[in-house]
Amino acid sequence: MDRKTYKTSETVDFVIVGSGASGGIMARELSRAGNSVVVMEQGPRMEPEDFEHDELKYRMLSGITNNPATNPQSFRKDASEKAERTSGGNALTYARIVGGSSAHFNANFWRLHEIDFIEGSKLGPIAGASLVDWPITYAELEPYYTKVEWEVGVSGLAGASPFDPWRSKPYPMPPLPVKSSGVLFERGARKLGLHPYPSPMAINSIIYKGRPPCAQCGLCGGYGCEVRAKSSSVWTVIPEAELTGRCEVRSQSYVFRIGMNRAGRATGVYYFDRDRKEQFQKARAVVLCANGAETPKLLLNSAGPGHPNGLANSSGAVGRYLMFNKGGGVQARFEHPLNEYKGANVTRVLHDFYDSDPKRGFYGGGGFDARSGGPLSWGQSVPQGTPSWGPAFKEYLESYTYWMTCAGHGTSLAQESNRIDIDPELKDDWGVPAMRVTYKDHPDDMKHAAWLIERAREIMEAAGAQQIVAEPVREARGGVHLLGTCRMGNDPANSVIDKYHRTHDVKNLFISDGSSMVTSGRGQPTLTIEALAFRAADHIAKFARANEI
Amino acid sequence: MEQPTPSRRQFVAAIGNLASAGWIAMNWPQIAAAAGQTGHAGHDMPAPPASLNTLSAAEAAEIDAISNLIVPGGATPGARDARVVYFIDNALGSFFAAQLPSFRQGLAEFANGFAARYGAAKPFSAAPEEQQIAWLHQVDETPFFAAVRRLSVLGLIAMPKYGGNHDGVGTQLIGVIDRHYWEPPFGYYDKDYQGFEPYPGTQPYTL
Repeated sequence: MDRKTYKTSETVDFVIVGSGASGGIMARELSRAGNSVVVMEQGPRMEPEDFEHDELKYRMLSGITNNPATNPQSFRKDASEKAERTSGGNALTYARIVGGSSAHFNANFWRLHEIDFIEGSKLGPIAGASLVDWPITYAELEPYYTKVEWEVGVSGLAGASPFDPWRSKPYPMPPLPVKSSGVLFERGARKLGLHPYPSPMAINSIIYKGRPPCAQCGLCGGYGCEVRAKSSSVWTVIPEAELTGRCEVRSQSYVFRIGMNRAGRATGVYYFDRDRKEQFQKARAVVLCANGAETPKLLLNSAGPGHPNGLANSSGAVGRYLMFNKGGGVQARFEHPLNEYKGANVTRVLHDFYDSDPKRGFYGGGGFDARSGGPLSWGQSVPQGTPSWGPAFKEYLESYTYWMTCAGHGTSLAQESNRIDIDPELKDDWGVPAMRVTYKDHPDDMKHAAWLIERAREIMEAAGAQQIVAEPVREARGGVHLLGTCRMGNDPANSVIDKYHRTHDVKNLFISDGSSMVTSGRGQPTLTIEALAFRAADHIAKFARANEI
Repeated sequence: MEQPTPSRRQFVAAIGNLASAGWIAMNWPQIAAAAGQTGHAGHDMPAPPASLNTLSAAEAAEIDAISNLIVPGGATPGARDARVVYFIDNALGSFFAAQLPSFRQGLAEFANGFAARYGAAKPFSAAPEEQQIAWLHQVDETPFFAAVRRLSVLGLIAMPKYGGNHDGVGTQLIGVIDRHYWEPPFGYYDKDYQGFEPYPGTQPYTL
């Protein structure tokens, strides 16, 4: 297929910055609505045969993620400290290829619950936090959750969990086959009276939309899926957007500033092309889908006359309220091999502890799953009491297939002081000012993490684990779920976008990605990011048709 | 009748050009296996480095001796059998090159400390194993030892193209079979799984 291309001198209807979970959907929906679209992606485009099962390259050498050597960040715990470059990797990690982080995610795809949208009024206020309601409800988003599940492709068993929010349709595919970690997790949890159920996964369990079922190769999180069974934007909505003949995906194109005119309208984007040559793409409107880190960085780096503190930042909220998903879990060893290197990473989850319960004495809720990790990372540390070298260490390495992880994925409270802004000194390889991350867990997040670890320990004990290893609760120094940094809200004084994803300050500038989220949910945010993108695209397309952009 | 294994070209055609669902369903195990070949050994996989290009022979001998005590050989392969030192040499000459100066400094301190303790007549690598083990117990909290340990584990398990995990012995050591398509059962505990039993009050439903 000949892919559509546009000249930079052409004024396209939309420039979308980012080709990931939200950018791909935005591209498909806006181009199907008859708009001309250019999608800007920092990273390269990879084809199925380009993806390798190379844990070293993908997990440790930034093979497809932002590289700390070329895209550095600085980090500090609070504003009193001088931020420093972090050793061993960036604080905030995301994929830098066409498909974005949807190309390398684990594909664990559960919905937010109704409570997630109204926790501010139900549970707030909380000292030191900004726990507020979303300007939309679960009911408003439900049709778009369903749309993701059917358009992008999610496998699962509807109605299996007594804690699931209501839904209008079942999943389009049955669940993936259970693996040993799922069986043990289910066994332990059921003994405790809990309700584990087949995990909803954005991975094909059958042939769906011309893509094959999972090959059960075992390498999902951190890797691209070379058989295209994982429902990543690069295999799903992006090719569909290109089929319209109105969408160009421009890879290796790094947007560093949004163009503005004197009337306060966005005019397009400045970017470095693959030869690091500066270009400008004209557009009627700009949609930022660059993720919860790159989107605020781009807005702050677009400061100029009339908006000296960054674009769309009259509230001062751009970059603030950064949330990850605080979690805690255990590793457990069993008598017989589980072989967790085979099969999709997650096959069983439970939501019994999803809601925050004031009786626990802190805010926080979480979902649990049974999962696995790659051997390179696993072999770098040993349980307390196990020698780190010599024959006993070798015996430990030989036990790799006997281990699994029971992980709790929980909430992070939004705090105004947790933020991304621009480092006053640090620049990346393109000369673009780098992001500075300021982050310190709320005390409730720390208590909640410890609580999650104890629940995970109980589940694995009930499952019959021979050895359980719990990591101590540590303060977060980064994350991969990058949420809340351009939060949605009705009040322009304390939010960046309205409920239709239009920035309060600039009429033809929209944002839809993890930065739009108001609360963190309980991990696995990509389904929600994609549902928001479908909903936002519906509204943005209507605005375009009505000449309201 | 046994299905022929599709070639890489057939795999790309099937996956990329949306071959019929029926064809994919009928041939899926073979297609998926071919996908592994596509992304791995069959696809432009460079040969592992066969010579030392960064470390001197003397340095390599010391590192090899240390790493082979971290993951010793014997009844099953160890770091030396996996040619971990080739991985370390490759890493320090390429993707971990920034660590080379501190690594070399750490090695020099390691060697000097050993000589001060046991005499300079023989380097660590030529010393009796009891002396080697005793010295490692002295230094196993140092950053240099941590670096060698980290690189040894990586070199044991990372893909052979990087120089270690020779003939996949490291992968085999940890019990992993290097294939790219699996069907259930995957492990011991899912062999006899009886299926998901719904909870009272729930009504799981599908299409």
